[in-house]
Amino acid sequence: MNLIIEDLNKTYSNGVQALKNVSLTIPQGMFGLLGPNGAGKSTLMRTIATLQEADSGSVTMDGIDVLRQKEEMRTVLGYLPQEFGVYPKVSAETMLDHIASLKGINNKGERQEVVSALLQKVNLHGVRKKNLGTYSGGMKQRFGIAQALIGSPKIIIVDEPTAGLDPTERNRFHNLLSEIGENTIVILSTHIVEDVTHLCSDMAIICQGEVISSGHPAELVAELDGKIWTRTIEKNELPEYQAQYKVINTQLKSGKTQIHVLSEFEPDPSFERAESDLEDVYFARIAERMEVVPE
Amino acid sequence: MTLKIFLFELKYRFKRPATWAYFGVLFLFGFFTAVYGSTPASEKVLVNSPASIAQMLIIISIFGMLLSSAVLGMPVYRDIEHNTAQYMYSYPINEKQYLLGRYLGSLVVLLLISLGMQLGLMLGFTLGPVFGQEEPERFGAFHLWHYIQPTLLFSWPNFIFAGTIFFALVALTRKVVATYTGSIVLFIGYLVALTFVADMENRDTVSLFDPFALQTFSTETQYWTPVEQNTQLFPLSGTVLANRLIYLGLALALFLFTLFKFRFTDVLGTGKSKKKKQGIESEESKPVSVTIPRVSPSFSFSTHLTQLWRMARIEFTNIIKDPYFIAMLVGGVAFLFLDAWFTTTGSSRPAQPTTYLMLEVKDWDYGIFVFIILIFYTGEAVHRDKTLKFANISDALPIPNWLSYGSKFLALSMIAFVLASTVIISGVLNQILAGFTDFKFGMYFKDVYLLEFPEYVQLVILAFFVHILVNNKFMGHVATIGIWIVLFGIREFAEYDFNMFFYSYRPSYILSDMNGFGHFWTAQNWFNTYWLALGVILLILGNFFWNRSSESSIRSRYKLAAQRIKALPVVGIVLAFVAFVVSGYVIYDNTAVKNRYETRDEGFDRQAEYERKYRKFINMATPKIAAVETWVDVFPEERRAEAKGEFLIFNNTDKPIDSLMLTMGTQISELKKITVSGVEPEKLSYDEDYFIYFFRLQDPLMPGDTVTSSMEVSVGFKGFPNSGTQREVVYNGTFFNASVFPEFGYSSNGEISSDQERKKRDLPERDYTLPEQTDEKGRSTFLFTDDGYYADFKGTVSTTEDQIAIMPGYLQEEWVENGRRYFRYEMNAPIQVFFNVVSAEYEVARDTYTGPDGRTINLEIYHYPSHTYNIDRFMKSIKHSITYFTENYGPYQYDQMRILEFPRYAGFAQSFPNTVPYSESFGWTANYTDPDKFDRAFWVTSHEVAHQWWGHQIAPSATRGSNQISESMAEYSALMVARDYYGEDAMQKFLKEELDQYLRSRANESKFEKTLLDNDTQSYVWYQKGGLVLYALADYITDDSLNVGFSNMVKEFGMKSKPPYATSLDWYGYIKSVTPDSMQYYLEDSFENIVLYENKTDNAIVRGSEGNYEVELTIDSKKIYYDGLGKILKEGDEANLLEIGIFGDDVTNDMGMTVKNPLLLKKIWIEPGVQTLTFKVDEKPVKAGIDPYNKMIDRIPDDNVKNVEEE
Repeated sequence: MNLIIEDLNKTYSNGVQALKNVSLTIPQGMFGLLGPNGAGKSTLMRTIATLQEADSGSVTMDGIDVLRQKEEMRTVLGYLPQEFGVYPKVSAETMLDHIASLKGINNKGERQEVVSALLQKVNLHGVRKKNLGTYSGGMKQRFGIAQALIGSPKIIIVDEPTAGLDPTERNRFHNLLSEIGENTIVILSTHIVEDVTHLCSDMAIICQGEVISSGHPAELVAELDGKIWTRTIEKNELPEYQAQYKVINTQLKSGKTQIHVLSEFEPDPSFERAESDLEDVYFARIAERMEVVPE
Repeated sequence: MTLKIFLFELKYRFKRPATWAYFGVLFLFGFFTAVYGSTPASEKVLVNSPASIAQMLIIISIFGMLLSSAVLGMPVYRDIEHNTAQYMYSYPINEKQYLLGRYLGSLVVLLLISLGMQLGLMLGFTLGPVFGQEEPERFGAFHLWHYIQPTLLFSWPNFIFAGTIFFALVALTRKVVATYTGSIVLFIGYLVALTFVADMENRDTVSLFDPFALQTFSTETQYWTPVEQNTQLFPLSGTVLANRLIYLGLALALFLFTLFKFRFTDVLGTGKSKKKKQGIESEESKPVSVTIPRVSPSFSFSTHLTQLWRMARIEFTNIIKDPYFIAMLVGGVAFLFLDAWFTTTGSSRPAQPTTYLMLEVKDWDYGIFVFIILIFYTGEAVHRDKTLKFANISDALPIPNWLSYGSKFLALSMIAFVLASTVIISGVLNQILAGFTDFKFGMYFKDVYLLEFPEYVQLVILAFFVHILVNNKFMGHVATIGIWIVLFGIREFAEYDFNMFFYSYRPSYILSDMNGFGHFWTAQNWFNTYWLALGVILLILGNFFWNRSSESSIRSRYKLAAQRIKALPVVGIVLAFVAFVVSGYVIYDNTAVKNRYETRDEGFDRQAEYERKYRKFINMATPKIAAVETWVDVFPEERRAEAKGEFLIFNNTDKPIDSLMLTMGTQISELKKITVSGVEPEKLSYDEDYFIYFFRLQDPLMPGDTVTSSMEVSVGFKGFPNSGTQREVVYNGTFFNASVFPEFGYSSNGEISSDQERKKRDLPERDYTLPEQTDEKGRSTFLFTDDGYYADFKGTVSTTEDQIAIMPGYLQEEWVENGRRYFRYEMNAPIQVFFNVVSAEYEVARDTYTGPDGRTINLEIYHYPSHTYNIDRFMKSIKHSITYFTENYGPYQYDQMRILEFPRYAGFAQSFPNTVPYSESFGWTANYTDPDKFDRAFWVTSHEVAHQWWGHQIAPSATRGSNQISESMAEYSALMVARDYYGEDAMQKFLKEELDQYLRSRANESKFEKTLLDNDTQSYVWYQKGGLVLYALADYITDDSLNVGFSNMVKEFGMKSKPPYATSLDWYGYIKSVTPDSMQYYLEDSFENIVLYENKTDNAIVRGSEGNYEVELTIDSKKIYYDGLGKILKEGDEANLLEIGIFGDDVTNDMGMTVKNPLLLKKIWIEPGVQTLTFKVDEKPVKAGIDPYNKMIDRIPDDNVKNVEEE
């Protein structure tokens, strides 16, 4: 079972082209969608989640024409939006129960079991009776995860899920996702490279509405093997280096600036070869499209 | 610092669209009010008179409470809500500077916004003549001060007072809901205060304490004549200044209190919930390893239904848990309950809390709350998931569109259901608390669930649809309310009210115990079907556009809508459309084809046309009727009747009559057949616009000839009208009169009386509708029946078996034939051709009255079975009245007196020979357990019985002033019976009420006030002025002397068949003949002029001790002569005979009534001007003054008596 996206295009009424000929095949397992803010990730996610119309192109999954058979798609979908709210005066348990019933779980006992299990999974069981309005940001996010998992969805779309989670919670969430990802399509959008590195078997990088790279993370990293060079410079030297080399990343290290440069050959002896990682892939690909390093 | 915050506030506010929206609304309101001349002014008052400008500004400032709460409730709350408080309060400012700046800034903005009204009015009045919606001469010259004075005196202080309250509430409670509750409390408090005004003795107190000075204003100006309203500004009396100082002072005190109580830390102290959160976090435990069970979801239709219910329930819970909702509901219910409570107990007309009254109050204040709640929460519900961003989750859930959409609608319908049910709860509670047990649950349920609830739902549907299309909460509200304002505006300003073109409007209906929903039911159901069908269409269309996605561009919403068009909804739309068209056709056919629909202007146009076309026939010779026999078959269940009349007609003119002009008096009857001397006359023409026939007689009726004419008419209705009651023939409570038969000749009743409307249509102004007292034709015509003469009367009437049918006369025979009940009546004495037909299911209360002369008169009261509350009062009144009238005027001409209840579709009682139909709406269900409440049943009954003498024994001629012989005499008679019954010391209340009514009506006169001798149209002259003047005259010269004149008049004019008939001059002659020379001045003043006194007690001081008190009175007496418009002509400079009274504490008479306790009461000649008089009394005086019983017509009746002070 694959989710197949073909030639998806979307232009907003303000003229911004959010998706440009996006084509992707997303297999079962965890799929990471990486891209900077405003790249079109959320548009793509929302389109798959039936919440947005595309101008052209198609999305199909398991025989479902997602753009038209919205109701069928929704029966197999779990969706955690980037931003969401809840009814403040309703408890987490009641709300999950309500959502479960909206996901078609008719049987009361079944519903209670699912809700209870999910509350434990996301570690909200102790506060299940509290009104959602009293939840902190992290707790609300965990509630969001729980609701997305209700109803054994075949495809789970999580948009920036780890924002607002503390490291422990983030770990727990990752574990939860990978557990589920074994026999489900899980699309995880993020701008945090690390999330993808740890979790995903497949990924795509999207920038300015276009898919600029896709594949297995390891293969993508391998493509850059030996092409990433690094050295430490003074901050004021950066423009000079940017003019001369393809600087894809900068980091501050004890007051100095460490730069990563993409190059087939050693730029000059002051550079060292660096172990390439997914972050380099990301920045290198993005850098082809836009300025990634501030001037 | 304060200045900076102040300026910041101003700048912020001026950038807010809301500020300009408020201003704009006020401006437009003012503008349109002005252009259309819809100000509270009668025809002779300038639309921009200083009095109407001031009154409008006051009323707007009361409604401005909402504006005040919006503007002044916000500034502090804004910082709390937007969390700017968190850093705002960390700046180097202190609380006082902050608060002062915010307060002053917002207040200035509020006051500036309020000027929108004034500016709108100014522009509107300036352009008014150009727009031509109102006659140009009604716009007076522009005076800036006419706006500034009331602004400073009323409008601004009101805004400051209300605004400060709301500001303080939010600053101190930190909850914006406080402003809502606050405005409700203020409103209710205000309502309660206003009801005290009904009790007129409290007016001064109310004037002083009315926080919005509305009563202060109206108490001062209520009796102002048109001339005064046009020229006078509100006088700066001590009362109004004290009132304003009290409330500005209160506002200042409240603000200072707030200033010293307000602490930033309080505002930031969201501490409570913080702690809670931390508590939650600490409860976390280690994760447990659980597996999520696999489930098997179902997406069947039955699942969807369960889901629909669950979603609706959660939305319903969302709404009812909202504190604003609770506040609004509590406020609405309080109004609902109190309106009912005060109507039945608190007002001057206490009544049994009948179910129809309990249901009627729902359309008063409660209706406004329902409107606001439904509109507001429809917006909330439609946008809730988007606003909360829960839509991001819920939109992707596997539920069909109609489900999420439908659940919102269902939830709102549930809210509507709750709001509707509340009406029943409040009503029943009111009834229980009043110990009333005649609950009509059927009426409750039918009215609330079958009529009211669908209307609420229609309100929701429109708001729902608009919100979905507009897709923005704020703009959605603006658009929804805008639609209603437009609908309302067209109806009010353009006076076009064809209901089927105004969403959710329908003809109004009146509930009645006698006739239940009656015939109104059909029209209501058609309209409900019609609007609900449209509602279904809107709902389905709305579903197509229901915004379930993050798409908001119009293009993609159309695209989505197109995707959603499927067979089922299309079928739904088609079916609903068919229902809409069919019901629309039925309604149109009924209201515009079978019945005539015309706007007010079209009605006037038609009247004008009638006058132009037919007035030339006013002097056409017509025959008179000498005898009548009639056969009437009433079919109440079919709401029709067939009537046949045989009339003996004769020519009493000196010309031959060769043709007949027949006018159908009402649109409900149709002429089927006419014969004269057994031959059908030749029809020359029929005008179907005015229902006028011309016939040529085969043989002209020569002077002195008498022939028989028979006429057959069908009475009934063609479908239901756009408005109106169609009350004449109903299922239970039919009541119509002789006007179902055609009248001979032209009737000037159909002409326009308003001079303004006449001028618009190029008709000459008409000061009088009747000719002068000396007019030959007028003197030989009866006022009530042009065609009449004293005629013998016989009638047979049939109805269904369960009803009783009544006509004037005595029942001769009663039988049942073919399942119908027949009654034959015959009159022993001739009557004017003025008879009625009544039919209903009655219970009859019977009694007999034996007069001092041993004559027995049968008394019968026909009433709705459960309306037994006041039968004994009716009986008692009839007996007392007949006694007094027989002794003083002469014998009663009949052997029987009957009172018949008819449904409350009309609110009057009318005296026919030995028969008085009497509306259900007064007397029958009144509650007179408090002996101090005005017993209107006793009073009105007496008035109607008096008409058997004044109106039926003496038939006034059709000349100006003659109606006083009927109405002033009936009113005088009722006052005399009341005086005999209750005692003179109880009369002040009655007199004061008459006086008050006279003064108010005269202030709203749209032509010019006429004298008692000339008045032909003004009811306040013939009832109230006439009654008062005659009462005072009887008091001066004793009623025994006065009644000698009246009984002489009865002797001469009673049952007089031959002209000339009685005129006001005849009447005046009898009055003059019994009045001594010394009092002739009073007759001239009262009958020939318009004279008002201004008697006043400045000071009352007492000296002395028990058994020997000396009271020193300083009084001021003035007598002023006015012209009809209220302009002063002169002041009287002669002495007048006036009454001085000195009183102890009020006492209770043997009927439990509070009455005056005079220690001294005597009439003395008093010169005009200020003077001091001294009197001696034995007991300790409490009150004293001039004309203490309000016997004189006095412009300011309240200042006649003062409390006596010790020296």
